[in-house]
Amino acid sequence: MNTLLEMRAVSHTFADGSAGLHDCSLVLGSGRRHALLGANGAGKTTLLQHLNGLLRPNAGRLLLEGRPYDYGRSGLAQLRRRVGLVFQNPERQLFSAQVEEDVSFGPLNLGLDAATVRARVKAALEAVGLADQARRAVHHLSFGQKKRVCIAGVLAMEPDVLLLDEPMAGLDAPMQEALAALLDRLAARGVTILLSTHDIDFAYGWADDIHLMAGGRVSASGPAQRIGADVDALEAAGQRPPLALALHAHLVTRGVLPAGSGSGTPPRSVDAVLDALRVLPFKPLMKTPT
Amino acid sequence: MRIETAAYASRWQGVAPSAKALFALGGMGAAWVATRPGTLAALAAVMALTALAGARVPPRTYMAVALPPLGFLLLSCLTMLVTPGVDGAWHWAGAMMPTVTRTALRSLAMLAALLGFVLSTPLPDLLALLRRLRTPELLLDLMALCYRMLFVLRQAWIDGVTAQSARLGYRGWRNAWRSTGLLAGQMAVQVWQRAGALQMAADARGYQGTLRFLPAEFPQARRQNAWAALAAALLLLAAAGDRL
Repeated sequence: MNTLLEMRAVSHTFADGSAGLHDCSLVLGSGRRHALLGANGAGKTTLLQHLNGLLRPNAGRLLLEGRPYDYGRSGLAQLRRRVGLVFQNPERQLFSAQVEEDVSFGPLNLGLDAATVRARVKAALEAVGLADQARRAVHHLSFGQKKRVCIAGVLAMEPDVLLLDEPMAGLDAPMQEALAALLDRLAARGVTILLSTHDIDFAYGWADDIHLMAGGRVSASGPAQRIGADVDALEAAGQRPPLALALHAHLVTRGVLPAGSGSGTPPRSVDAVLDALRVLPFKPLMKTPT
Repeated sequence: MRIETAAYASRWQGVAPSAKALFALGGMGAAWVATRPGTLAALAAVMALTALAGARVPPRTYMAVALPPLGFLLLSCLTMLVTPGVDGAWHWAGAMMPTVTRTALRSLAMLAALLGFVLSTPLPDLLALLRRLRTPELLLDLMALCYRMLFVLRQAWIDGVTAQSARLGYRGWRNAWRSTGLLAGQMAVQVWQRAGALQMAADARGYQGTLRFLPAEFPQARRQNAWAALAAALLLLAAAGDRL
């Protein structure tokens, strides 16, 4: 695994004295899908803002491809071109009145010419499925559409790393599926993605790697299958085991499913468990004697 | 909000703002040049009909937007027609009638030209036009941010009122005043927080000190400008006839 971004023993204390991060370390492999899982106040947003250079650590350091972050003007511009951040609340991110205007903001700040910016805006809006909404007013869009405009605004800068702060918050199920499909497409193009979430089922089903956060530090990191099955680590981070694993374990215990079903790896979603059940020969339930 | 909605729903939303501005300027220039009441009335009618039939601005919206300036105009005309005499009483100044008629009709024509433009041009297009006309960047940045924040804060205000109403915050005038005061205070905090959040969002996308946006493209702009210039020239010619 090629390490793209690294956080080494970073601590951060806010001006009001509250601790944001405490001795926090994290390694992000290139081209992988990462999920940052933690309860409210665990420090997920603070961590993302450190990775984008919006916050500077009081202790520890951050590295991009092995080189320490440069917090000078040009260093930050270069960093933010490569590491894009999508905020949780689109109302706090969008400041232009029109969709394509807002998406053009980032690439214009990179000093690109108008033709290149126009091409990037078009491609970014196509990627998020909003090509036909380019001339619409931002305040006429739905919450989900605004969120996609935010993502397009960062995609237009063509970052190597896309950070998303709770992207699924406030979206209904179809929109969540559409967003997950979009993230899959981006990951297939080689973009490294790190998203923060409260939803362990989504994280377990979608991510290659899961990073658990608690008390301002990453308490466990690793492949999704391993972290999902690590009940102690999950409990320490205030998380329950993924539903798919719990359901699968119960069905195995009751002899409904074989222990090493399908490919031999545990199912990543409830849908996968249902698929395993569907291929079994149908047997009507027998009433058990009391 | 009515102006905003009409501009986005207008049939001429896709027409180059420079063309619409040219036509409106032509109408204003013609209203300035024309002297006969008949010509001025015809100009006002042409400009209003262009907005209603051409840009398809709903008549109800047009009237609602025109009413406040029309009321102001009516009041101004009345103050010209009713003047205090040397005896201290108010007198009807009939001799002023031709001047008042001309001024009122000229104002009407100017108003119609301006309404036709603003009711068919969304503000972002207007800002882009002003940018091309080399308006100071700082002023345009302020306009862009104020415009966006207007809608964000309006939504925050509506959400706040709804939340307060759900907990009987507007039951009785005393409660209503208290709730409104609390919300106004809270909005001040929200403005401060949102300003900080916007700054952070801008920094995250490489903000360099100037809000730079890509202006919308109008592929037919050249042709539309030519037509607008022709229409404006015709209006000016018709108005110039009064002076010959």
